[in-house]
Amino acid sequence: MSKKKLVQAFRRAISSTPKQKVRVLSASDKLDVLPYSEVPGPKPIPLLGNNWRFLPLVGDFQIEHIDKVSFRLYKKFGKIVKMEGLLGRPDMVFLFDPDDIEKVFRQEDSMPLRPSMPSLNYYKHVYRKEFFGNVGGVIAVHGENWQKFRSKVNQIMMQPRAAKMYVKAIESTSQEFINRIKQLKDDQDEVPKDFLNEIHKWSLEAIAKVALDQRLGCFDQTADPNTQKLIDAVNTFFINVPVLELKIPFWKLFNTPTFVKYINALETIREICMKYINHALKNPKKEENAELSVLQRVLKMDNDSKLASILALDMFLVGIDTTSNAVASILYQLSQHEEKQENLHREILRILPETNSQLTSEKLEQMNYLKACIKETMRLKPVVIGNGRCTTSDSIIAGYEIPKGVQIIFQHYVISNLDEYFTDSAKFMPERWLKTCPMSKEHHPFASLPFGFGKRMCLGRRFADLEIQTVLAKIIRNFKVEYHYKELDYHIHPMYTPNGPLKFKFVERK
Amino acid sequence: MALNNILRNTLQGFSKISYKSSARVFSTSIPQLNKKEVEITFVRASGERIKTKGKVGDSLLDVVVNNDVDLDGFGACEGTLTCSTCHLIFSKKVFDSLPEKATDEELDMLDLAYELKDTSRLGCQIILSEKLDGLEVKVPATINDQRSS
Repeated sequence: MSKKKLVQAFRRAISSTPKQKVRVLSASDKLDVLPYSEVPGPKPIPLLGNNWRFLPLVGDFQIEHIDKVSFRLYKKFGKIVKMEGLLGRPDMVFLFDPDDIEKVFRQEDSMPLRPSMPSLNYYKHVYRKEFFGNVGGVIAVHGENWQKFRSKVNQIMMQPRAAKMYVKAIESTSQEFINRIKQLKDDQDEVPKDFLNEIHKWSLEAIAKVALDQRLGCFDQTADPNTQKLIDAVNTFFINVPVLELKIPFWKLFNTPTFVKYINALETIREICMKYINHALKNPKKEENAELSVLQRVLKMDNDSKLASILALDMFLVGIDTTSNAVASILYQLSQHEEKQENLHREILRILPETNSQLTSEKLEQMNYLKACIKETMRLKPVVIGNGRCTTSDSIIAGYEIPKGVQIIFQHYVISNLDEYFTDSAKFMPERWLKTCPMSKEHHPFASLPFGFGKRMCLGRRFADLEIQTVLAKIIRNFKVEYHYKELDYHIHPMYTPNGPLKFKFVERK
Repeated sequence: MALNNILRNTLQGFSKISYKSSARVFSTSIPQLNKKEVEITFVRASGERIKTKGKVGDSLLDVVVNNDVDLDGFGACEGTLTCSTCHLIFSKKVFDSLPEKATDEELDMLDLAYELKDTSRLGCQIILSEKLDGLEVKVPATINDQRSS
């Protein structure tokens, strides 16, 4: 294709001038559109807006229980709820109807704006401006800078066949995890209460392998203390995001203790990751046939070590906790549903006859029940309970005028726990996702979207899928997973995850 | 082959952000030279027929991009299977004859396609072969057509 054609194609792809000033989302909406002021929702009070609701004691919204708060709002106000008067941030409009979510996604222009983290935005674009420049990465970056970055790394990160090249790498870290579980469990087959941290280690190890082709040795006796420091810093970062975003943002005026903790965590993450990244840059793999790391692939495509490093940094920042909490949650659900776990074990046993049978992408492709168990957990307890977009022009959504700049939040957690959208929604039924099951046709395709949809779908999705599938296939092939304590509630931490020590029992299988 | 790589890299240098340039990195097809062309017809929901040509080995998304076929929003995700904007509907006969069946990743995105039919596929996953010469595919109505009508 000629260069001119390429440029034209690109121009067309990024031209974002809306054809109409006000976008009408469907023909029927035109008839009786209600003004923005009429969108139902809790009323803000003078001076404190709606932020006071997140204050301790007086407020009725606890960040840890946003899942329950969202349910309450839905029951009280209905399928569209406005949260206005949030100091220092745009209004939020919650959507509880998958039809409306579908319309927002279908209307998406070429540079969808994902409302996320003004605090991270501040870190990348103000606090560490000299480091990031205009290569911000993908998290908390918007517009053309986002588009340029995403487009460059898209084929490497998102092409399914590109991710599948890493099956072997991920399998080897998962085997290390199996060995670690055997080493950790006591004579009752039970693992210690900080087992989640062990899953974090596996997740970090897997990312380092994919992103940098480095083995960090998190499970070793002589593990580099930086690996634990990195895991702790990522935890601190995530835990403080909603605090900074939802409580009164004093951090914008002065350095609050939370803000200092948050910035220090980000600095720790950046420093440790850059150490690993720089090591990988200086020591590229020499062998011809070796799988190239994501870092090396980006460098090969576009000799820009800044771009490659910042992609790797974003992978560490948001790829550890998300994946590990998903694995924790799925293991917990399987431990609670023995019969489903047996179905899964039968499937895996058929495809992996020995405990050490080698995995391939073809074998993973056959594991339909495994994928169904993952989808079902992500429906019932999505690791990230919602998603959203910022309106880039005045729009009409759910029959209301919604001005430009409002954050539209898709309430997937609530929606996928309503019987209206999923039969027996409280039941763990992986079967509902099997193509051979009539139930798979029942649900609204936009009701449960754990990775989002479209141009801004989770950039780490392929690797997350591959990591989760691989480690679960290995674990379920090697052990029967049990949990013998009282049922765990879930909490927003800020991943949606079982609240309690994950003292699983791992009974070895032959 | 080496020359080809140099050409690719040069091309990538010029076109920093284009879909094609980065797609090349993972292109598994043989070099583009002297490839046979086949004829493809896209039929819009309105009945309008768009006749165009594509090279064997290219995907239907490549055909749309290379020929500047004016299909609003087509191929938004650059062929990375994160959207369903390149959704096309085939005849039953052609659908059954396609050599590669849809992968899980494609099926997941097809579930999210507008006006899904039993013979729907995503254009970015359909690779042209000589057998597909004269192919006719339906382009389903998009929500944008509905809006402007």
